[in-house]
Amino acid sequence: MKGKVGIGMLLWAILITVSHIQLNLGWSSLRKEVAIMTGEQREELIIGFLPVT
Amino acid sequence: MTKHSDEGSLFSSKKFTDWPTVKEALISKEIGGVFILAPLAMQLVADGVPIKVVYLGHRDGTGIVVGKDSPINDFGDLRGKVIAIPSRYANQNILMHKMMDEWGMPYDSIDLRELPPPEHPIALQTGSIDGYIVGEPFAAKAEVDGFGKVLYHTKDIWPEFISCVMVVRQDLIDERRELVQEMIDGIAKSGKWLDEDMQHRMDAAEVTAKHYYFQSPELLKHVLSKPEDRVKYTNLAPLQEDFDEIMELAFKIGVLSRRVAFKEYADDSFVRPLDQLDWGMDRLPREGGGQ
Repeated sequence: MKGKVGIGMLLWAILITVSHIQLNLGWSSLRKEVAIMTGEQREELIIGFLPVT
Repeated sequence: MTKHSDEGSLFSSKKFTDWPTVKEALISKEIGGVFILAPLAMQLVADGVPIKVVYLGHRDGTGIVVGKDSPINDFGDLRGKVIAIPSRYANQNILMHKMMDEWGMPYDSIDLRELPPPEHPIALQTGSIDGYIVGEPFAAKAEVDGFGKVLYHTKDIWPEFISCVMVVRQDLIDERRELVQEMIDGIAKSGKWLDEDMQHRMDAAEVTAKHYYFQSPELLKHVLSKPEDRVKYTNLAPLQEDFDEIMELAFKIGVLSRRVAFKEYADDSFVRPLDQLDWGMDRLPREGGGQ
């Protein structure tokens, strides 16, 4: 019984995590964050400009 | 040309052509920050957009331009004339109202018309306006092409004039502070490098003309040298006293919908003393490895 509850909780946690990434974060954003964390990609900051004042 | 900082972070630029799109890009987090008109940054904060002014783009670098052979010789001669401004949210608009106050002129004594800055010189040349106030290089354009004269440089009428400011999203300030600091340090180092040697300015004119502004290098060299203090890249810390003056004037003439406190829209905690920052570089590298 304990094992079933544990598996259920694990599946529930995975479901919530996947849903959060899908709905709130986005997979491409996650891939980028991981790449930066692992040093595969540089941190990037995009700055907008209007070439006029 | 190196596209990343000494620390390895990538800083890339994205060109926009109108302000509403910039606002949307900030809200949607498509961009981390933007060089933007100072009063517009205040209004965005008044509208609830979570951004902060963290640094300035430059000081001065704006001129009031009239026709070369026009009888306009001082600000009072602009009475009854049509003068182009870049935007109602531009500090250039606020400067025109400040000058009208100083000259005892009612606000309707000059017909101020919003016009995209690249169109200012041609509008003057064709006679559809009597003059314009704009940031460089469009003031210099009329001078260099021989049909306009600078009536006033801002350095002579509002010293240390602020035009564009660097704004950054609040979530970046909270969560990626080191990255923001790295960027501000880079801007500060670039400004210090530009202002310490005229040869550096000439180098910068060559490189930016080709890669960023798509203007003639000679035009940018004119901007950066005639006179030398036409535009400055040091003293770029956002100072409350300067911003309070802009904010009060902007509110007075109806550009701002409400007064905005300095701490609401500015964060000066990224400013470091210039003597702690150095690029350690003399000339800009060129393609092919030459100097």
